[in-house]
Amino acid sequence: MGSLADAILAGDRRAAGRLISLAESRTSDARDELEILYRHGGHARTIGVTGPPGAGKSTLVDGLIARLRARGLTVAVAAVDPSSPYSRGAVLGDRVRMMRHADDAGVLVRSMATRGALGGLSAATGDAITIFDAMGFDIVIVETVGVGQSEVDIVGHTEAVLLLQTALGGDDVQAIKAGVLEIADIMVVNKKSAPGSDRMARFLRESLHDRPLRPDAWTIPVLLAEASEETGLDEVIDALFGRLDHNRQDTHMSAIRRRQAAAHLTALADVEIRTLMRRLIAGQTRPEAWQAVLERRSGPYSLAARLFEQLR
Amino acid sequence: MQTDFQAEQAEDQPIVRCLLGMLGTDVHSKGIRTIAQLLREAGVEVIYLGEHNSVQGMARAAIDEDADLVGLSFSSAAYVEYTRQLVAEMKRIGADDIPVMLGGIIHPDDHQALYDMGVRGIFGAGSKTADIIAFVRSMGRPR
Repeated sequence: MGSLADAILAGDRRAAGRLISLAESRTSDARDELEILYRHGGHARTIGVTGPPGAGKSTLVDGLIARLRARGLTVAVAAVDPSSPYSRGAVLGDRVRMMRHADDAGVLVRSMATRGALGGLSAATGDAITIFDAMGFDIVIVETVGVGQSEVDIVGHTEAVLLLQTALGGDDVQAIKAGVLEIADIMVVNKKSAPGSDRMARFLRESLHDRPLRPDAWTIPVLLAEASEETGLDEVIDALFGRLDHNRQDTHMSAIRRRQAAAHLTALADVEIRTLMRRLIAGQTRPEAWQAVLERRSGPYSLAARLFEQLR
Repeated sequence: MQTDFQAEQAEDQPIVRCLLGMLGTDVHSKGIRTIAQLLREAGVEVIYLGEHNSVQGMARAAIDEDADLVGLSFSSAAYVEYTRQLVAEMKRIGADDIPVMLGGIIHPDDHQALYDMGVRGIFGAGSKTADIIAFVRSMGRPR
C-alpha cells in the first residue's frame, strides 16, 4: 500500500495512469493511494472547459495548452467522453486534437469515459485532479463531454469554468433554457466566422447584464474565438488568468476549496449509492414481487419503498 | 430482470482500454474508424488517435492513457519499419509490456518478422470481426 502513490509523487506517469484506471473501476486499493496523494495536493489551478458537442472544446484546450506552456506552466488534462449506456464501450476522441503536445513532458492528457455518470464528467474526475495536483502540474484542465442542458458537475470540480457556445447551436431561447449558462465564469462564442456569432455574443452579454450580481462579484466576460485558427485565444487566456487572480482572494478561495471537496465527496457517494441500488434491484427483489408489478396487481411505488427501506 | 442480471455480470469484467491510431503518412482512416466503432459496441474503451502520429507520441500515449494494448492500422508498405520503431520506443520508455496489434494491409510473408518483434496480434484484410474483438477483450488486465 502506498507504492503507487510513492511512484506518482516521484513523477511516474505510468503509475499515474494506472491509478486513474483503478479509481475508475472503484477498487478499494485506489482509495488508500488517493488518500495519500490528496494530502500532497492543493497547489494546482483548475480550469473546466464545457459546451455542446462540436463546439470546439478539444481544439480550444489544445490552443490553451500551447499558450500555458509558452508561459512555462505544466498542464495536465482530463478529457471526458461518453460511455455507451448499452455496451459500456466508448470512443475517446479528444486526445487526437492535442497530439502536437504528445512529445512534451510538460503535458499529460488522460482520456476518460463517463462510465454511467450523468453530470458531464466521470465519477473519477476528482481523483484524476487529485493525482495531477499531487504530481505538481501547475494547471489541470478538465474537459467535459458535449453537454446539453443539465450537465453541470464541472462547476464543483474547477475554479474557472469556460463555456463554449456557437451561433450554430440554436436560437436565443435555447440559450436561455440551457442550465449550463448559469455555470460559466467565462463565455466563448467559438467558430466566430459562422453567421450570427456577433449577435449571439451580444445576446449573451445582454442576458448576463440582466442577471443579479454574483456572490463572488465576478463579471463574466463574453469573448469571440475561432479555436481552429488560433484566433481570439490570447484574450481567452487573459480572461482565464483574470479569473484565477480573482480567486486568489482568501474568501473566494476558501469557498472554491469547500465546493471542490463537496463535489468530490458527492461523486464518490453517488457511485456507491447507485451501485448499491442496482444490486438491490437485481438481487433482492423477489420474482413474485416483479410479477405482481408486471401484472399490475401492485405498483412500482410500494416496491421502491420496500427497497429503500433496506438502504436505510 | 434478465437485462439487469446481465449488466451485473458484465460489470465484473474489466473494461479494456485500447489505443488505436496510424503512424506516419498513412491516411486511409476508414478501416480504423470502423474498428473503433465495433470495439465500442463490444464494450471496449477506444482511445482514438487518428492518423499522422509520431512513434514517440504514440508510445507516450500508451503510458499516459494506461492502455491495455496498442492497435496500429497500416495501408502503406512501410509497416515493418514503423512497427520496429514503435516497439523500440515503447521499450525505451518502459512500455514494452503493453501488447501491440496490427491491422490493415499486412502481407503474410511479414507476419513472422512482426511476431518476432513482439507483435501479439495481426489482423489483415479478411479478418473476422469476432476474432478481433475476442483478441482485444483477452488483453484486459484484472482490475
